[in-house]
Amino acid sequence: MANYAIVTDLNRCTGCLACTVACKAINGVDVGNFWIKTLRIGPHPTEGGSGHFPDVEMYFLPVQCQHCENPECVRVCPTEASHIAEDGTIQVDKEKCIGCQFCAMACPYGVRYLNETEKVVEKCTLCEQRISQGELPQCVAQCGARARFFGDLDQGVDNFEGPAHPDSPGCQYDEMTKTRVKMKDYIEAYTNDDIHHLTDTGNAPKLMYILREGRKWRA
Amino acid sequence: MELQWPLILFTFFLCVAGGTLALQGLLTVLGRGKQMQLPSLIVAAAALVVGGISVFLHLEHWERIFNGFGHITSGITLEFIGCIVFAVVLVLYFFLMRRSEEGVAPKWVGVVAIIVGLALCAVTGDSYLMSALPVWDTVMLPVYYVVNACFLGGLVAMVVAGAVKCDDALGLTAKVALVAGLVQLVVLVIYAVLINNMGGMFTEVTYYFDPTLPDVGMIDTDSVVGSILTGSNALAYWGGVQLVGVVVPVVLAFLAMRGAAASKFVSFGALGLACAVVGSFIWRALLYMVAVHALPFF
Repeated sequence: MANYAIVTDLNRCTGCLACTVACKAINGVDVGNFWIKTLRIGPHPTEGGSGHFPDVEMYFLPVQCQHCENPECVRVCPTEASHIAEDGTIQVDKEKCIGCQFCAMACPYGVRYLNETEKVVEKCTLCEQRISQGELPQCVAQCGARARFFGDLDQGVDNFEGPAHPDSPGCQYDEMTKTRVKMKDYIEAYTNDDIHHLTDTGNAPKLMYILREGRKWRA
Repeated sequence: MELQWPLILFTFFLCVAGGTLALQGLLTVLGRGKQMQLPSLIVAAAALVVGGISVFLHLEHWERIFNGFGHITSGITLEFIGCIVFAVVLVLYFFLMRRSEEGVAPKWVGVVAIIVGLALCAVTGDSYLMSALPVWDTVMLPVYYVVNACFLGGLVAMVVAGAVKCDDALGLTAKVALVAGLVQLVVLVIYAVLINNMGGMFTEVTYYFDPTLPDVGMIDTDSVVGSILTGSNALAYWGGVQLVGVVVPVVLAFLAMRGAAASKFVSFGALGLACAVVGSFIWRALLYMVAVHALPFF
């Protein structure tokens, strides 16, 4: 039906944590738990540089469930509570979850948490409640640097969308949220070599990160 | 990773159950250990029950257990099936032993007991193989569980054989404990060396910062996996796991063999078993302490 994912342009991400906060607010994530974290990677000396400032480079890395093609969390779940939904996202059926937490152990990224109140495991749902109604995930909608775009991998990453006015970038917030732009038309040029995934231990993560030449992809 | 005591207890008691049943199966195949049959079955059944209760304590929603197990190939489901098969074999062994005119279970049940006893431990180990956790994702984990089962089973059998004065089984139980102990020592060295060299299997970004944990340092995966052989966990490994957990029980098994008195098998076996229990728990705890995700800095 679909194969949803998110791509983040790390050259644009400013580490404002808006995605992290917006996710917690809309999904009611417990204090101390995070469905998405924004890490700072670096600073590292640039290759061929002096080894000192200003010859350094760094980037921010929003990490969440990668909605893998071959998810380990689904493989180990004894009750099929963790499953691949029709839209290609990985979801947890809380009614089936027995709280064994094997999925949390099996996730290479450690992005699953035990909800201490409901006693079930939770993680990023790609805002299933929103995308099923044609809206954008909240982390994409609230991205302060317009670095995050959401879409269907089957339609090509170039067609991923973010909320912005195509003609009037400086428009008011309400107007901006009613319009969308395609990633390729909005962000700086990129090549396939600039698109990266998190460490793949056989799980084939689907979420993508754009980091262009000049900065070294490390995660 | 935080220690998961219910799972540590579960895997331990399953090894006790599996090893005890497997050794009784071996004795049955060799035509020995008649007096030990019932006590061995009781020990194996009790260990299975305690292990089962332990793992239930790990589940946050154990009352949903019967809704689940829809995923037949998941490790937990296979463990569950393994426990049921194990219980069936225990009952089968008991009834065939009772129905036999000689009061001895047939040899084919002994073979089944060996296979099922050790297979349950292997399946348990296999369920923890996860590519996300390189330290666990090695064949050495199920190998350890199987060898540990033989070792614990041998020591349990020494005590049982000595207690019921089963003279034709005394020597064999100590031999199994001795050999399995030596094999476990080697397996543990190989496993520890393997873990020590796993530094390159984690994503290494050198410098990173997590704004949600501003007072927590970066995870140094090299020092975590290197902690067992020469680092902060070296004392627990060399002293607790190897010396107390393996060497002392092996020496006690050897001394019991030389003495050949049933009372010595009880006392030496019980002391050796207590030491092996300590070593088994420490090693399982260490495996949690060094279990770091492939991308370790979320």
